[in-house]
Amino acid sequence: MNSGRVVGRSAFAAGLLLAGAVVVLSTLPAEAQQAAAREPAYRDFPLIGSRLAVWAVAQLHLNFAAFILGVPIFAVIIEIIGWRTRDARYDWLAHEFVKLTFAAFSTTALLGALLLFLFVGYYPKFWTYMTSIFFPTYWIYALLFFAETFTVYLWYYGWNWLQGPRKWIHVGLGVLSNLFGTAILFVANSWVTFMISPAGVDESGALTGGVWAAITNFTWMPINIHRLIANVVFGGTIAGAYAAFRFLAAKTDEERARYDWMGYVGNFVALSAFIVLPFAGYWLGREIYAFNQTMGITMMGGFMSWLWIIQAILIGILFLGSNYYLWLGMERIPGAERYRKYVPPMLIILTIGFMVWATPRSMVVTLDEARAMGGTHHPLLGFLGVMSAKNTVVNLMILTTFLSYILYRRANKLPTKPWVKTGMAVQWAAFGAAAAVVVFYGIYGYFVESIVRIGFSVYQVLAVIGAIVVVMAIDVPMFKGARSTGEIRWGTIAPRSQYVLILLAVTFTWLMGLMGFARSGIRQHWHVYGVLRDTSAEAVTPALGYAANMITVVTLAFFALVMFIFWLGGLGEKGSPEGAHGHAAPVLAGGSDRDA
Amino acid sequence: MQVPVGVKVGVFSLVVMGGYSWFANSIPQIESKPPQELSLEGGNVTPAQLVKAGEEIYKTKGTCEICHKIGEKGTRAPDLAGIGSRAAKAKQGMSGKAYLIESLIQPGAFIVEGYPPIMPAVDKPPIALNRSEVWALTAFLESLGGTVDVTLSDIPETVGGSAAGGGGAPAPLALPGDPKAGKTVYMTKGACLACHKAGDIPGTPVGPDLSQIAKIQTPDYIMKKILDPKGMGTVSGFPPGVMPPTFGQTLTAKEYTDLVAFLLTLR
Repeated sequence: MNSGRVVGRSAFAAGLLLAGAVVVLSTLPAEAQQAAAREPAYRDFPLIGSRLAVWAVAQLHLNFAAFILGVPIFAVIIEIIGWRTRDARYDWLAHEFVKLTFAAFSTTALLGALLLFLFVGYYPKFWTYMTSIFFPTYWIYALLFFAETFTVYLWYYGWNWLQGPRKWIHVGLGVLSNLFGTAILFVANSWVTFMISPAGVDESGALTGGVWAAITNFTWMPINIHRLIANVVFGGTIAGAYAAFRFLAAKTDEERARYDWMGYVGNFVALSAFIVLPFAGYWLGREIYAFNQTMGITMMGGFMSWLWIIQAILIGILFLGSNYYLWLGMERIPGAERYRKYVPPMLIILTIGFMVWATPRSMVVTLDEARAMGGTHHPLLGFLGVMSAKNTVVNLMILTTFLSYILYRRANKLPTKPWVKTGMAVQWAAFGAAAAVVVFYGIYGYFVESIVRIGFSVYQVLAVIGAIVVVMAIDVPMFKGARSTGEIRWGTIAPRSQYVLILLAVTFTWLMGLMGFARSGIRQHWHVYGVLRDTSAEAVTPALGYAANMITVVTLAFFALVMFIFWLGGLGEKGSPEGAHGHAAPVLAGGSDRDA
Repeated sequence: MQVPVGVKVGVFSLVVMGGYSWFANSIPQIESKPPQELSLEGGNVTPAQLVKAGEEIYKTKGTCEICHKIGEKGTRAPDLAGIGSRAAKAKQGMSGKAYLIESLIQPGAFIVEGYPPIMPAVDKPPIALNRSEVWALTAFLESLGGTVDVTLSDIPETVGGSAAGGGGAPAPLALPGDPKAGKTVYMTKGACLACHKAGDIPGTPVGPDLSQIAKIQTPDYIMKKILDPKGMGTVSGFPPGVMPPTFGQTLTAKEYTDLVAFLLTLR
């Protein structure tokens, strides 16, 4: 029996299980809900306690959910590229990506059902309260899950059936499954964001307006957008890591070339989305401050302030890793040698940016050291620990990463347009102007009040986005029909580059766990901030070390599960050189340069 | 021997994540604990005890320190040094304590020039101080350069009405100890009476009078103070380093919980 089909059936069954569980819980009669209200507020999960149980399952569920929602977004785009360009390589790649998603689909649904059962069983009072607010949305969620399950099922199994003139139907199914998936994300986000920034309820927690007011709370749309983008980054890094694993384990040059290309596309997708992710993060942060200043200040300056130093280190590693991968990739492109001279200055900017971003405002010092320094702020380094410095360097790092991509993009191309010199000059001017704006507002920020300084980050972000738009608007026509200096030698990239891809996937997954802790931790001892207090014995928000250990354990469990699922999904390919479902694997060694 | 790719990748991932965990464990470890409720109503509290309780609230449950500094100009909120004397002049026709109370429970009523209107009402969730806590906090603010004259009756009875939030009050602290047995520990094995007075039990005033300790300190503080007297600081006016740090070793678990249970009856 084909294992893909087995996985598919289990995915279908698991999807129905989750949807069914939601429906059953939605239709509990009023008496049953009243009885639930008389139940104890909490029950104890054996051995590890209820909080750790919910934490582990929620993080695992979110990891899988992010993967199965993120990958189809770029898979359908790749499928459309293959459809319009009639290049079978892209169709194969899109199918490969969806295959990974499909294998993880059932685990996502099962973990979702498990999370639901944990809430109902171990946090009954909390869940009863959430039901009193969001009861109508349970139905919508269940119906969307049915729709998503059927559509993904059709999309995956209809791949060969809906080829040729019927391809547009297949692409339509891919788009539709993404729309359903996004809608599911938005519904689930309404529950999570209500817990952070409740709206539409009075001081006692009773719903005063309609459920729509509770859904459209302060952080709902920022988290929708932030998660949507982050899911694409996450999907890209996991797909890249999968390709890296296959590359390292490859037996033939052809296989190595194929997975080199797949890894490159995964990283390209992740990097493209990653560049805009900080902007969505700014918006989310601003909305948290707009909802409640105390929460915002607790998040950035209170007991969580050191969390952002860890985040800075992780993002710094992501930036450095992504750029390093691109630079290694340029070594397999004839003609890229002329851009090597740009690598050292870019590395210097990224390294300095990394160091500044990871500099804390308050140092960990002994009493004697603090006396010698005149406080916990270092007289010089303390200035690098504030937002003015950090906003400046992160924007410069984004600009540098974009420059890396631009150089990679044109590595084996020589433009032939007559206006090349002017175009290049305008591009460099755009880079320079953006950097000048970023640095200017970064320095000016030291001389104004914080309320004014916060607004400066918007100008810095707009300058960077403006530069990206201008440079790309010139680059695309300038390199259209460019002369090639040679084909990309897929499969010849240094093996250490594949460990970079794995590093990116591990780091981003860990970062997601950390941000999940931040999102949940800023509520402190509240289930629903300011409305429903956490009165359990586990209401303490743990310190970062404890949280980090937990994140590591769950991330390990996630990768162990992913490897097992991918191995399971790949069983169907054993002995079949054509790959699953008769999809011919493309030959890429020394192949085309018509990549992204 | 060829090491399988899965092993190499697994070890690599473990090292990466181990590094992140190691770093997160090597920086300051700060927990956020749910605040304890403080009740001072119906008891006799000295101004000094009130100020001490208020200072504790200022630094913990009140979350005041996030924005306010004492003796240092903040960008988010005014410096509170000398607020006890300045308060009387802040708003014409309003006494200092009335101004302070209004600033705590209706912070939007008067905004100090140059600062954004970001302060939340302290008796409303998420800070949710109760009436006793607002009283103690006001006393602490008065003590910053002024005279402590606020009484419980100055605090409106409506204050803290919604402090519990929709989810109800914090879980009551259930201690397994026996207060009667704890009193025996206090007088015999613990020898606490050698330095402390406690209600009708006389004691040498080497340390503070514990007659109302359960009113002015949280259970958490009392439990920690017995085990780590130095770490919890010394009450102002008393010599430091006198209280033995060995109760954690000399008392059995039952004796310890009994002693805590007894101290919690001292209201």
